[in-house]
Amino acid sequence: MIGKPTEPDTLDPHVAQSNNSLTVTCKTYETLVKFAVVDGHATANVAPGLAQSWAVDPSGKIWDFTLAKGHRFSDGRFVDAAAVKFSFDRLLEIAKGPNEDYPAIAATEVRDPYTVRFTLTYPFAPFLASLASCAGDVIDPAVMSHAVDNDFAQGYLSTHSMGSGPYQVAHMERGQQIVLEPNPYFFGPAPRIKRVVIKIIKEAAVRRLELEKGDLDLIEEVSPDQVDVLRKKPGIVVVDEPCFRQDYLFLNTNKAPLDNALLRQALSYAVDYQGIIDGVLLGKGKQMRGFIPEGFWGHDDHVLQYHYDPQRARALLVQAGAQHLKLSYLYAKADPTWESVGLVLQQNLADIGVTLDLREYAYSTMRDMVDRGEFDIAIGNYTPDFADPSQYLNYWVDSRLFGLAGNRAFYKNAAVDDLIRRAISLSDVAERTRLYQKAQQIAVEAAPYILLSQKNYEVAMRSNVHGYIYNPLLLQVFDFEDMWKTP
Amino acid sequence: MSLLQIVCRRLLLAILVIFGVLVVTFIISRLIPGDPARLMAGEHASQQTVQHMRHVLGLDKPLPEQFAVYLGKLAHGDLGISIRTERPVSEDIRRFFPATIELSLAALLFAVVAGLPLGVVAAVSKDSWLDQALRTVSVLGISIPAFWLGLLLLDLFYNVLGILPGTGRLDEGINAPPVVTGMFTVDALLAGQWRTLHSALVHIALPALTLGFVNLGIIMRQIRSAMIEVLQEDYIRTARAGGLSSARIIVGHALRNAMIPSVTMLGLLFGDLLYGAVLTETIFAWPGMGNYVIQSISFLDFPSIMGFAMVASLVYVLLNLAVDLSYMMLDPQIREIG
Repeated sequence: MIGKPTEPDTLDPHVAQSNNSLTVTCKTYETLVKFAVVDGHATANVAPGLAQSWAVDPSGKIWDFTLAKGHRFSDGRFVDAAAVKFSFDRLLEIAKGPNEDYPAIAATEVRDPYTVRFTLTYPFAPFLASLASCAGDVIDPAVMSHAVDNDFAQGYLSTHSMGSGPYQVAHMERGQQIVLEPNPYFFGPAPRIKRVVIKIIKEAAVRRLELEKGDLDLIEEVSPDQVDVLRKKPGIVVVDEPCFRQDYLFLNTNKAPLDNALLRQALSYAVDYQGIIDGVLLGKGKQMRGFIPEGFWGHDDHVLQYHYDPQRARALLVQAGAQHLKLSYLYAKADPTWESVGLVLQQNLADIGVTLDLREYAYSTMRDMVDRGEFDIAIGNYTPDFADPSQYLNYWVDSRLFGLAGNRAFYKNAAVDDLIRRAISLSDVAERTRLYQKAQQIAVEAAPYILLSQKNYEVAMRSNVHGYIYNPLLLQVFDFEDMWKTP
Repeated sequence: MSLLQIVCRRLLLAILVIFGVLVVTFIISRLIPGDPARLMAGEHASQQTVQHMRHVLGLDKPLPEQFAVYLGKLAHGDLGISIRTERPVSEDIRRFFPATIELSLAALLFAVVAGLPLGVVAAVSKDSWLDQALRTVSVLGISIPAFWLGLLLLDLFYNVLGILPGTGRLDEGINAPPVVTGMFTVDALLAGQWRTLHSALVHIALPALTLGFVNLGIIMRQIRSAMIEVLQEDYIRTARAGGLSSARIIVGHALRNAMIPSVTMLGLLFGDLLYGAVLTETIFAWPGMGNYVIQSISFLDFPSIMGFAMVASLVYVLLNLAVDLSYMMLDPQIREIG
């Protein structure tokens, strides 16, 4: 029994946008490759999934995948190349967001029943890693019998599953719970847990109460203040690990006064990073160094990290020629910490003589304003879809992706554009790392973002639940098939 | 004017009211800054994907055309497809609305069953210690925040005493009864599924108590003040002088007259209960309309917002009609005025 705060909007992996859906989709579908688990630890390396092997031609544009035989959908049909082609065609045809993980696919072709070929429009270095993302889930083509008005069965799959994962959706009681039961044809060993009930309980205090009482075995989204309380309770184990979820501030470099790099640097030195981590996140986080988080390949331990130095901030402010500066901070209540961060920031900036006006909007409105660049400073968070530095650099600072799509600071630098675009098309990891680190160095010095914190991920469970392996890339995913309970 | 004519006239007016609500909701929802296509396309979506989504959702058409398309579908009973959930809005409403109605009715039932006698007792024992105590309960009911009371009740009855379940509508392992009204208590009763009925009743107890407690206070106050006024009327004094028993005077004469203003209030209270149930629904993980609508608004899910506005206005219009009709039954003078 799992306690989840929000119901997934849809269980269709080709439509679902939030990590919230992954709890179900990652367990009801399989991907061509998956993240490898080594010695009980999740890694960012890919391992065979539905595909047992793959090869890429020297141009980096043609990928052939050979499927392992024996994987079967929950209706007993075999997973073959036609199913893979159907799935990627569907994903790209629907084009509702998850397709963005595969910008380079030009065509998918069935070479033989168990070989599928992807032809890319350009060499896309993260292609293999991107196939481990749940957006690349393979769906049973038989789902088309449930299609209505050319919807590719999106309506049906919003509450059902038709995959080859270890589980299938037994039923979904909207607003209440989702019940998973084993896929009888699953390729791997039959799961020990025969029934998974995901209960939707919005109120954190109630989730905690039901966990303590033993009515729930595991709960998500444990607030930082509850972590320490729960840790002391007998019979409860708390997982509290650093993850790749980051909080950062967007400084609008596209309009005055924050089009001035000196001013942005001044603000970057004015922020009390540790104060925010200790006071707002209750210590459950770590200040970021560079865009690429610690633990992610491409991370640079030596890139400039701004620190709290009000004196230096004042000096830079004078150098920037800014006087009686007034700025606005755009936020929403979507994240309960954003208002508190704003209050700390307001105080920090007041200390260097900058007035900060806090402006709260509905989340939908806020996102629209960020997209249009109608802000001075705005806050947001970010989680990558797969393990590749392009997930940060090619989104955050590419001038082709202004707005919500990625470059929320509207930062433009031709040298950075060139470096990151070259990096995404190379296969040489060492060279890619070098290019990304160089691009990052230039961008961090220009301070388009204030890099606040790399957050922790917290899950609490009963101590008789075993086999959970934490994967920072797959938040809200629990490998139920490898988990078990003792009395 | 006959009763039937009154009802027909009001129903015709109701269609106009609902049309007005739809126009206003449509305009307001489109005026809110924000693009549902962008929201649905997600974090990384390119402008091309967003544009595609806008086209798929029909948001690239002029507003009057969008509204005309909506009305055309509505005329065929089609409320559209939810942008957020990809499911038909009518299906979502059918699933969530009965849960909210059931909770609101249970809360109102509790508030009336407890509030009415307590209000009468307070009025009869005016200014005594009992009256003071009941007035305190009434003030508490009005002033205690629902989320706090809900958590308190949950902690006491679920956690400490362990006599009532925590969240949800039924125990794990018990299937929902065959759908007739969508209200599990009623449907279980109709199907003669006593175990399901028991489970549904124990699950609704705490949320209904939480939601009803606020209204208990309001009903007690209303009945108390109305009763105090009526008890001072000449005809009550005459009845007393005539030797009628106190119980007969209170129940047979005073309460009936004191009830008239309370009927309007009950109608309005029920309306408030329906849409004020969000916090209670949140605490008890009750799958009602409250959370659904909040999610729909935050995602600018236009079809869901419109569907909800239409159903909500329909309920309000029908409630007002029911209140007016019950007036007529309680006071024949009103019927004559028409």
